[in-house]
Amino acid sequence: MDRTLTNFIRALRNSEVRISTAETLDAFNAVELVGYEDKEFLRRTLSLVLPKTADEKETFENCFDQFFSFEDVRGERHEGGDGAEAGDAEGEESGGDGEGGGAGGESQPGQKASGGKGKAKKKKKNSLIEEEEEEDLGPGAMSEPGSELGQLLMNNSKVELSVAMAAAGEAVDLRSIQVFTQKGLYTRKIMEEMGLGQLNREIGDLKAARSIPERRLGQELKRRRDWLREQVRDYVEKQFLLHADAEGKRLREDLLKRVKLSNVEHRSFRLIQEIVFKMAKKLAALHSRRKKVFKRGALNVPRTLRHNMSYDGAIFDLHWKSVKVDRPKVFAICDVSGSVANYARFMLMFLYSLEEVMPKVRSFAFSSDLAEVTELFERNKIEDAIAKTLRDYSGGSTDYGQALTDFKKLCLDDVDNRTTIIILGDARNNYGDPKTEIMKELYDRCKRLIWLNPEPRNSWNVGDAEMKKYAAYCHQADECNSLMHLERVVGNLLRSVS
Amino acid sequence: MAEPSANAANIEKIVESVDSLKADFEDHRYICSDQIATAVYLAYHLRKPILIEGPPGVGKTELAKTTAEMFELPLIRLQCYEGLDEAKAIYEWKYGKQLLYTQVLKETLDEVLQGAKGFAESVNRLHEFGDIFFSEEFLEPRPLMKALKEENGCVLLIDEVDKSDHEFESLLLEMLSDFQVSIPEIGTVKAAAEPPMVFLTSNNTREISDALKRRCLHLYIPFPDTDLEQRIIHARVPEIPPALQKQLVTFIQQLRDMDLKKVPAISETIDWARTLVLLHTESLDPQLVRDTLNVILKFQEDIENVDAEITTLTSNALKK
Repeated sequence: MDRTLTNFIRALRNSEVRISTAETLDAFNAVELVGYEDKEFLRRTLSLVLPKTADEKETFENCFDQFFSFEDVRGERHEGGDGAEAGDAEGEESGGDGEGGGAGGESQPGQKASGGKGKAKKKKKNSLIEEEEEEDLGPGAMSEPGSELGQLLMNNSKVELSVAMAAAGEAVDLRSIQVFTQKGLYTRKIMEEMGLGQLNREIGDLKAARSIPERRLGQELKRRRDWLREQVRDYVEKQFLLHADAEGKRLREDLLKRVKLSNVEHRSFRLIQEIVFKMAKKLAALHSRRKKVFKRGALNVPRTLRHNMSYDGAIFDLHWKSVKVDRPKVFAICDVSGSVANYARFMLMFLYSLEEVMPKVRSFAFSSDLAEVTELFERNKIEDAIAKTLRDYSGGSTDYGQALTDFKKLCLDDVDNRTTIIILGDARNNYGDPKTEIMKELYDRCKRLIWLNPEPRNSWNVGDAEMKKYAAYCHQADECNSLMHLERVVGNLLRSVS
Repeated sequence: MAEPSANAANIEKIVESVDSLKADFEDHRYICSDQIATAVYLAYHLRKPILIEGPPGVGKTELAKTTAEMFELPLIRLQCYEGLDEAKAIYEWKYGKQLLYTQVLKETLDEVLQGAKGFAESVNRLHEFGDIFFSEEFLEPRPLMKALKEENGCVLLIDEVDKSDHEFESLLLEMLSDFQVSIPEIGTVKAAAEPPMVFLTSNNTREISDALKRRCLHLYIPFPDTDLEQRIIHARVPEIPPALQKQLVTFIQQLRDMDLKKVPAISETIDWARTLVLLHTESLDPQLVRDTLNVILKFQEDIENVDAEITTLTSNALKK
């Protein structure tokens, strides 16, 4: 079977492009049709069959470039025109064609004797390479290398070399590379698999040899061995990016999902944002379907009549009344004072990433005075809006009583029995008046009142925290300080309505 | 329309290679990128539907139309909207006709049942006549069914599939993977010898389900680059002066980089080009751009935003 393609698909899956078995089969059919000869054509073809969203297409492009480009083995020793052209065609074969390559590699020993003929011509070109300082032996005749790898190297045949490299990679199971510290190990393993030991011995022997051609060969081989090591390292690096980096990333993501949001370092923000979007997308996909609830037994008279008009008024095509389930109407009230600002940032990010399934989010920010920031989010990108919110409202000491009063003044009338109110804050009121009567009013009016507190439950009522009083008027009060918590809360929110 | 066999041979010739396809598209004044041509090539050879996504106005629907024109096949179009169901997309029984016939045949019924003793026998007699009322005679084929019945193949365009409900999407699955639909009363209707070429378009207002995506080739048409857009304008509005064409495209490309509510698409560029030709314009100038801005921008907010920078944008366009 076509290993190259399956390996490529594996690499794609690793970079989070979802590809089903059916699509794999399609890809095989498509490749059968277009072949491997034209790389651009192949790229266009596969990009039609495999990735199915705009994002995935982008990933696909990167992956394709990485996978199907193969370092021009003679990169440093230019030999005229055949570079680009040959590079394309051969790159595809060597990219992962392990089985074929393996067979090729194994059959090499038999050819030792016959391999020598072509080399005389190539020696001239070798003089182009800058000489090492060691010992200037001048250009001239060189002996034939004895070892298999030496022959390959002196042969200047990049195809065979890359095939051998891929074969060795396969043999040492390079694909199972996990973490970047293994790169060195795998580089060495591949070199050994390719016959490094033998080559080293030969180089040693040649250096100690008397005749100048042999010593010259020794130098040359050494140079080429070092160059080969570079190539193998590159190869390993690439394979690592293709196969292992995704694992590492998944690990990091899992970690970040659990870490307390206030402890997240600034440099991880990007990644967190990515995770938030991903989580939001998952939730959106899950809940994007607006369900209809049929009121069984209630006839939709106008619709029925209209539909049965063409049947002479004989009513036999009945239509029932149905109600579309409403999307949740969410009011998010966020404490953005210093202590909880980071939580607010990610919660707002989460809520607004869910636009598709929660189009009616209104958000309010406060530290002492409360203001609506919905418009900010409509006008700006999420990140900018969050930054602006935090800048404008995070000053001042927290006053929940004042914030609730403001909220009441601002939009208590808009709160109805379909509204879910989410309050995010630590309920630390600096010993001010908590104004729980407003909480009660909200509680009576809205569908759900959820309080998310970033502090662990056991410190909810310590010091100036008023959580005990507020919690009495909440349908749900939860500890929420990591992305996992956030996902659960929002997930529940969506589930309860759809 | 040509003879079926001749037409089939003609199609074969067109889709022989991607390049021939591209050339033929150009003959029909549809300038396409390699990617688009490859998509049609694969769709034909692999017999797979194409799901086309991209911003509005980049020629998604036009691609299907041009393909139909090029292959000289009939185009059957199904416009999707919320609430579209199988009665409107696949088939419906001609209830009226059924009713009418029962009325007319009421008298005949007596003759048929004459001499029948008892209820069981009467029913048996009726059974002998088979399910006349639920045969193809009384079936009103809707677009999907029509497409399947087209003898020599056709181009089926399912437009804006994202506007339809989830239920409808699932309804499409059978059609897309096996080119058949099942009707409980009759059985399965399979495609004629030549299955239709199916194009689905989506504006991405919502995510299409994975099941549907899996069955299709996925083509994303982005905004074209300067070069391609110039060629498109040239093909669509051939009477435009070359200098103006260049300025116009440069101007539009600049707009696409701006932060607008709705950036102008190719269709807007073409409209604008036509407008300018109508006004006998030779070269862009700020006043003219200001006057015709409503052709390319569809939001007052955008127009105001751009208005402030018209002079810079125009001079940039003129420079290049």
